[in-house]
This record gives sequence, structure tokens and C-alpha cells, in this order.
Amino acid sequence: MQKRVRKWLEEEVVDVFVAYIEQKGHILPHVFSPDSLEECALLHPGLQRYPLEEIALELAEEDPELRIGILARECTKRSLNVLSTWNQLDQGQLIPMEVSCCPSLLQEHARCSYLNPDQPGELKTLYGLDPNACTQEVEALEQEELYSHWTYEFSKCIKCYGCRDICPLCFCRECSLEHTDLVHTGEMLTEVPIFHLVRAVHMAGRCIDCGLCEEACPVNIPLRLLYRKVNEIIVKTFDYYTGTDMETAPLNILGQEIACQANPL
Amino acid sequence: MDYKLVPSVCSYCGTGCGLLYRVVNGKITGTWPMKSHPVNQGKLCIKGWNMHQFINSDIRLKFPLIKLNGHFKRATWDKAIGYAAKKFQEVVQRYGPESIGVLVSAKVSNEENYLAQKLARAALGTNNVDHCARL
Repeated sequence: MQKRVRKWLEEEVVDVFVAYIEQKGHILPHVFSPDSLEECALLHPGLQRYPLEEIALELAEEDPELRIGILARECTKRSLNVLSTWNQLDQGQLIPMEVSCCPSLLQEHARCSYLNPDQPGELKTLYGLDPNACTQEVEALEQEELYSHWTYEFSKCIKCYGCRDICPLCFCRECSLEHTDLVHTGEMLTEVPIFHLVRAVHMAGRCIDCGLCEEACPVNIPLRLLYRKVNEIIVKTFDYYTGTDMETAPLNILGQEIACQANPL
Repeated sequence: MDYKLVPSVCSYCGTGCGLLYRVVNGKITGTWPMKSHPVNQGKLCIKGWNMHQFINSDIRLKFPLIKLNGHFKRATWDKAIGYAAKKFQEVVQRYGPESIGVLVSAKVSNEENYLAQKLARAALGTNNVDHCARL
């Protein structure tokens, strides 16, 4: 991979390449450029994941002509699809270099920070939800139990907005989570469940199930599970699988069509 | 174009969470938690997540100011420190050194905190030293 990136930069297939670098014992995101080709030897597929797409977005915003190479895992590819269907990114400007992240004996380790998730402890099993569970398992709980378990999880929130800030698909300039009618900013405690449900609604047809939000959550709220449920509804209602192809998101289409129609009254 | 990701440490409190600043053309545009940092392991609080905002803030204090006749005026460091020293001397002479208290901060380094207590004890002559983390 290091050689391939070097070749891409040398042959001017791309102007810059967004990937990870090994630096002082840390794996950090890095923008490789033809000016410092020797850095390519330190390129690392990365066990830690960062939203590289956000770097690509910032680069594209600065220079719309720039050809950007990007290290793309499965989740990165899905999010690039979503970003371009929501008109945030020109797919032509981006050249993904795919990296296999699946666990295999042929690889030293699976290249994903998500494959060894934390197992829930005793307290979390008793009052909260197992983040590794599937939606069916969770829904098998009694209504009341389900409600109290989700309330327990939501009430831990310290309102750091980390889930939104790390999300590669949270590209809105104005965020509903800062809208005073919905969420009281600057106030603790978090409004349960409105804060998390506002975000969950906005993740419908957008969430690409990368799990970065859950990784960034300081209090381990099973956010990925919540957004999986929301996307399940999108699959059931619209037969739309977020990020798997370049199809426009159903909620995006609906908004435009209603806006274009004259009011029947 | 110059795009860098610069590892740093959060300066808001004494925990010392690892941060990554996104720097576009020399201007910090965003903060990420450092995933490989042993202290915070990819997590941050709301203050850490917004570290880039105070760095670029319009109301950030960038040079010493002296308040004269109710208005702040830009001054040199020598002038500002001289002015503060003169006022401190006046207070010490009139009310004694115990009338002054020094509050140190989690937003500065250990070494700076050490120097501040040294200033309080050796120069001002007061034992009234406290830290913002105890408030």
C-alpha cells in the first residue's frame, strides 16, 4: 500500500492522499503530498479510525480542483456515497484506495477499531443495553423494560456533542441539536430522550453504521444500535440501504418534491 | 495548500486529554480526540471538542491592556507588568502582604503554577495561594 500511494503521488494520479501515518508511536490521520514522498514509508492502514472524509471535505472546500486520494474502508466508501448523494462532495474529485478491513488469518489484524468491542459489565447488563446486541434482541424486551433501559443509557449523556462532531455525515451548517426550540444548549442535564431522538431522526437514511459515534461517546451509550433501528425503518419503508450505492436518499427526495409543489389550498 | 493534523494536549483542565488539531493553511479549523492517547482513548468532553473555538475567538486577549479612565488601552509587556507591580506594592504597603491572594490555574503548566506560588510566597510575601480546581 505504501508503494501504491507513492506511485499515485509520483505519477500525479492524485494531488494529495489522505491516510494514516505512524508518528511517535501513534497512528494519526495525515495528508500525504508529493512534496514529502519519504513520508509514504510511514503510511499505516491504521487500526484506529478517524473520519478521513471530513479532511477530504475540508480539502475540497479549500480547492475544488484538487484531486484527493483517500484510504477507504467499507465504511468510508459508504459515507463517500452518502456525501455525494447529498451534494456535499464531487465523487470525481475523490479517488479511493480500498483497504480490506475484514478479519482474516492472512492479515495480522482486522483493520478496524470496532472488531473488538467492549463487553458490557454487570451494571450495564442489569440497567442498560448491550451495544453489541442486534435490534431484534433488544426489541424482544418488554416495553417497560425497554423504556427504562434506554432511559438509563440516555440519562448518562454528558452532552459533549462528540457523537455529532465525529460523525462523517454530520455536515449541516446549522444543527438541530443547537436549535433552542428542540434542545436547551448550555444546560445540563440532557433532556431525555429528546436530545438523542432528534439526532436519531436526522440519522435516518444518512447513518452508514461506521460506529465512530459510539467510539467517541465518553459514557458508552449504544448509539450505533439506535441508528441501526432508525435505518431499519428506512429499509422497511423505502427499501433504501444507506450508502450502498449512489441512489438518492428517500428523505432527501421527499423534501425537494414537497417544496416544489404548489400548496393545494 | 497546507493541511496538517497536529497532536496536542487539552489545556482546559488538569486531566490532559490528547487532541488532534486540524490546521488548514496555518489556521486551526477543528479538534478531534486522539484515539491512541492513553488518557482519553478517543473521547472528549464538550470543552475539549471546542478547543479550536477559543483559539480563533475575536474576543481573545492577544496583548496586555491597561485600564485607564474606564477604558482599556494597549500597552507593552514592560509597561503592563511595571504598572501591576506598582499597584501591588501600594496594596502591600497599605494593607500588608496578607491582603493579596493568588489563584493559579489548571489551564497553565505545572511549571507556571510553581512560578506563580513562588511569586506569591517569595515576592509578595503571602501564603494565600489556591488553585482553580479547588473552587
